Amino acid sequence: MTYREQIAQHIDRFPKMPPLCRSLLGYLEDPDVDFKTIRDLVQYDPGLTANVLKLANSVYFGPAQEISSLQAALVRLGTRRIFELVLSLTVSGRLVTALPGYGLEGRDLLRHSIWTAVAAQELAGILQMKNVDTVFTVGLLHDLGLLLLDPFIAGKRERFTHIFESRCLSFDQAEKEVLGMDHAEAGAKILELWQLGPEIVSGVRWHHEPAEAAEFQDLIYLIHLADMLSLSEGIGTGIYGLQFNVSAEPVRALGLKKEHLEYTASKTLDKMRELENILT
Amino acid sequence: MAQLIVDIADMKISDNPADTLITYSLGSCLGVAVYDPVLRLGGMVHCMLPLSKVDPEKAKIRPYMFVDTGMQQMLGKLYESGMRKARAVVNVAGGSQVLDSQGVFKIGERNFTVLRKILWKNGLLMNAQEVGGNKSRTVSLEVATGRFSIKSGGKTIYYDVS
Repeated sequence: MTYREQIAQHIDRFPKMPPLCRSLLGYLEDPDVDFKTIRDLVQYDPGLTANVLKLANSVYFGPAQEISSLQAALVRLGTRRIFELVLSLTVSGRLVTALPGYGLEGRDLLRHSIWTAVAAQELAGILQMKNVDTVFTVGLLHDLGLLLLDPFIAGKRERFTHIFESRCLSFDQAEKEVLGMDHAEAGAKILELWQLGPEIVSGVRWHHEPAEAAEFQDLIYLIHLADMLSLSEGIGTGIYGLQFNVSAEPVRALGLKKEHLEYTASKTLDKMRELENILT
Repeated sequence: MAQLIVDIADMKISDNPADTLITYSLGSCLGVAVYDPVLRLGGMVHCMLPLSKVDPEKAKIRPYMFVDTGMQQMLGKLYESGMRKARAVVNVAGGSQVLDSQGVFKIGERNFTVLRKILWKNGLLMNAQEVGGNKSRTVSLEVATGRFSIKSGGKTIYYDVS
C-alpha cells in the first residue's frame, strides 16, 4: 500500500467534527431554522458562550464597540460567523498537542495557527481587501493536516534530513515526494469530510501553492503570506525551519511591500498572546 | 541553574552567575547577547523587526520588538550597570528567511543590516555570529562564564569568551 493510501485510511479514523459544531452546521443549512435555535444551542454551554463573546470581541469588534450578548453577536456577525467561532474554539483544543514527527512542542502549532489567522486578518485590513470574511477561520485551520501526517513524518525523519542536506526543496514539496501528499492536501481532506464548504477547504488546500487555486484567490493569498510571515518570525517552526517557498503570485497580485509585512508583524504579536488565552 | 527565558520582543539582563539567558526559535528575528566578562554581566534581546519607524506607537510599548530601539535600550541598561565598551563581547544569531525570490520577506537580512550599523556607531565588534540561511535557532548565554551557544537542527555550537 502506498503512503497516500495509508494516509487516506488514516483520515477515516481522524476525529469527526465536534458534535456541537455538527449540529450547528446542520442548522445553518436548514432555511427553516431561526436565530433563536442557534442561540439556544450555544447558550446551553455558558463557558462556551463566554468564550464566543470574548473571541468575537477580540477578532471582530475591539474594545471600542464591544458586544456583551450572544444575541447581539448573532445579529452583527450572522450565524455562519458564529459557527466559525465555535469551531475555532473547539478545534483549538486539538492544536495544543505536541507533534514529535514535525518537531513541534505542545502549543507550537496553536501559536502558529493563531499568528497566521491574526496576521492574515491584519494584512487584509492594511491592504483594504473585502470579501475575505473567513480569513481568521481559515488561518486557524490551515495546518490541521499536520495532525494527520505527523505519525507518517515521524517514521521518515532521516529521509527528510537527507533531502534537506542535499537539495534546496520547499518542505511541502518534500512531503509530497516522500509521502505522496503534503499537509495542505491532508488538511483539506479533513475539512472536506467535515463538510465545511469550498471556501474554507480551498483556503487550506492551496495555502502553499496559491497560484494553483481556481477560486478564492484573495483569501488564499492572505493565508499564504500570513503563514510565511509566521514562520519568518519563528512562530511554530519545526524540523522544517523556514524551508518554505514564498509564491511570487500573491506578492505581485496584492502589490505587497516589505512595510506591509513588517507593520502586520508588529500588530500581530500582542494579539496572538491575547487570543492564546481565550482559545485555551 | 536558573533559565531566564527571553521572549519574542523582550530583553533580559542578569549579573547572577546562576542564570542562563535563553531565547527560543529565532527565525528572521535576531538574538543578540552582550557580555562583560569582568562584571559577569550579560544581556540578551530577541528583536523581530529592523526599524521602529514602521510602528512608532508599538515601539513605545515594546521597544525590544525592533532592532534599533531594542539595541539602544539594552546597551543603555548595560552601560548603566557598569559595562565598559572595551570589554563588551557581542554574539549574534538568527536572521534566517523563507525561500523568497521576490525579496519582500528579507526581514532577517534587514534586521542584520540595522544591527551592524548600530554596533558600528557604538564602536562594538561582533564576536560570534551565525546569521542567515533558513534554519530556526535557539541561543543561550551563561552569565557566570559568558559562554554563548547556538542550537539548530539538533546540533549545538559553543562560543567561549576568549
